[in-house]
Amino acid sequence: MKQIQIITLLVLGMLISSCGEDYLDPAPVSSIGSNGFYTSESEIEAAVLNIYDGLQLAVQREFALVEMRSDNSKTRSSEGDWAQFETLNVKSTNTTVADYWALYYNVIFRANTVLEHLDAAGNSIDQFEGEAKFARALSYFNLVRLYGDVPLIDKVIGPTDTDYFDRDATVDVYALIVNDLKTAVANLDNTYKGRASKAAAQALLAKVYLTLKNYGDAQDLLEDVIAGSSALPSFSSVFYTELNSEIIFAIEYTNDAADDSQDFSIEFTQDGRVRGLNYATPELITAFNTFGGAIRTTTSIIYDDVSTKPVTPDPLQDYKCGKFVYNSTANNLNGNDWIVLRMADVLLMHVEAILAGSDVTSSSSAIASFKKVRDRAGITSPITSITKQELLDERRVELAFENQRWFDLIRFGVAESVLGTFATDNGIVFSASDLLLPIPQREIGVSFGKLTQNPGY
Amino acid sequence: MIQKIKINKIIGFLGLLALTLSFNSCEQFELPEAGSMADLTPPTASFAASLNGDYLTYKFDNLSASATDYVWDYGDGHTSTDKNGANIYAGEGTYTVTLTASDKLGVSSTYSETIEVVKPPVPVVLLPEILEAGFEDYTLENGTGDGRDSWRTSLGEIMQITSSPVYEGVQAAKFPSDGTRIAYQELEVSANADYVLTYYYTMKTSPAGLITVSVLGGALTDLANAASQTIASYVGTDQTDDSTYVQVDLPFNSGNNTKVAIYVRNESVECRLDAFSIRVAD
Repeated sequence: MKQIQIITLLVLGMLISSCGEDYLDPAPVSSIGSNGFYTSESEIEAAVLNIYDGLQLAVQREFALVEMRSDNSKTRSSEGDWAQFETLNVKSTNTTVADYWALYYNVIFRANTVLEHLDAAGNSIDQFEGEAKFARALSYFNLVRLYGDVPLIDKVIGPTDTDYFDRDATVDVYALIVNDLKTAVANLDNTYKGRASKAAAQALLAKVYLTLKNYGDAQDLLEDVIAGSSALPSFSSVFYTELNSEIIFAIEYTNDAADDSQDFSIEFTQDGRVRGLNYATPELITAFNTFGGAIRTTTSIIYDDVSTKPVTPDPLQDYKCGKFVYNSTANNLNGNDWIVLRMADVLLMHVEAILAGSDVTSSSSAIASFKKVRDRAGITSPITSITKQELLDERRVELAFENQRWFDLIRFGVAESVLGTFATDNGIVFSASDLLLPIPQREIGVSFGKLTQNPGY
Repeated sequence: MIQKIKINKIIGFLGLLALTLSFNSCEQFELPEAGSMADLTPPTASFAASLNGDYLTYKFDNLSASATDYVWDYGDGHTSTDKNGANIYAGEGTYTVTLTASDKLGVSSTYSETIEVVKPPVPVVLLPEILEAGFEDYTLENGTGDGRDSWRTSLGEIMQITSSPVYEGVQAAKFPSDGTRIAYQELEVSANADYVLTYYYTMKTSPAGLITVSVLGGALTDLANAASQTIASYVGTDQTDDSTYVQVDLPFNSGNNTKVAIYVRNESVECRLDAFSIRVAD
């Protein structure tokens, strides 16, 4: 009897163990794990779209780091952590600075995930590689310009890969950016504007080259982009017709969709959670009055009061950003796209490339590009030469609130003098170390001592 | 009980005495600096000078370490005690900028750098020379004597020479009606500069045809690329008189090129070309 029991038990045990592999480890049908995913072209495409999903999150508070920290904009209330930017007194504990870092490293993680699984991408392998590398380059370009030396992570890493936690020299980061963008230029076509395209990669690479003072290569790329462009649309339709002919790359949002809407549009108004961010500084309003022209001024800045609007914008009053005014039903689910690259930026970069670091140019091709931007703005006074200062002023009023000013000041080599004057005029303390943001304290805290702080923080 | 208090008092008194003595003994035997540490990080002064605006305006980024107070001497009589220096010089010259960085212990360090304030030269636009511009024989130094030496290319057969009609001199270029002959010459130019290329052409009154003079960006290595490399071109079609030369001014911007090429070809009708010249546009 006992023997029979033992034999039965043994047979039963063998039966159970033989079917064990399938039975005890079934593929989950209700949730997806990374180990079983990324096996087909459509699954890789989902991962590619997920990169843009990451950009939708990452770009939303960028204005604080680059517009409010420049002489272009400020908070309406001058209160709290948000006011650290306009007073050039950013702390390493600032959550906006920390979130920006984390969100862009998350985009890089998403891009690296795609690059790691390209083998399964089938016919779209080149396209997906180009898109992932474009997004990775864009992320690193932003990070390296804002934080200086940053950890260079070119593969998917886990929490124990501490070798990747320390900071890499800017020159190495730029080498990756240039390589990624070259691949993107080679692999992409101009099918999309809400996804990476060849023109977007060319324009971004040109901006990288301008930052690195490689003017000749930048000029060739920009002339390629300009050659493929059509006539500029009206200034206001650049912002109020989504993906218009001026747009080269935009991060898309839609109205009233919890997963695909933004809330920076409402934060740019008094209805935002902090009663108004990214309001024009008196200096910006004066710049509009001096260089902007009526068309750009009325579109770009909106009088933020119920009393009668002054005929000429008054630098001492509140003006909010006029470029991303929302029309969604839900206040905080706005659908205005964020414009990353557009043709006016490219045309003015073309002038910058020809200027090539000198103070003035009278080259007819530079003047032609410059005139296209000014003509559209209704400024038709003849020009025979363009100075560096004129180009900087033009970029300021053309691209106000589009997260260009801070980087322009650095690239033109005038950040210290312009911000120094701005600081003196406004009773702010400015030092050269303010040109880099602090490395977020919470990142230093979890880096096993690998991340070091920037000087001055 | 009383005794106990007394003993306590005595112990207390003795303790105080010992304490006082020990203080005294310190003063007597301890050297003034013993136990304190030397300043391991004395100030080191350093700065980086860079232009900040026009050629007279400099900024000096302070790169000193372990210092709290700074004295700048800009070498032109101006001084400052700001952390970062900045100065506007009155004119050209060589100036020695000195930064003295000191800490609150009174230790200081000095660093000097010499800067040369020079007015940047106005960029001169390079004016190229067109060789054998009038297709005259013996005008090229060390040439073969043929007025076409400078116009040859391996990409096609060289044009012919005519002696009548000419615009000036005794020879002009001739392109037979079959359109098989070409002329080509490379020029060194400044990038992104504006030039005007001037030449004269005439053509037989029939059949209908044309002569195209193109300015190409960079050297031409394949005739198929001529169209994509073209910066500017002019198509001559004036067939009113076969012996009267027509002037053409062809303005062009050299773009991102330090070399451009003149490339001439014709179609269907016999054409003549003479007297190339180039100037920098006003």
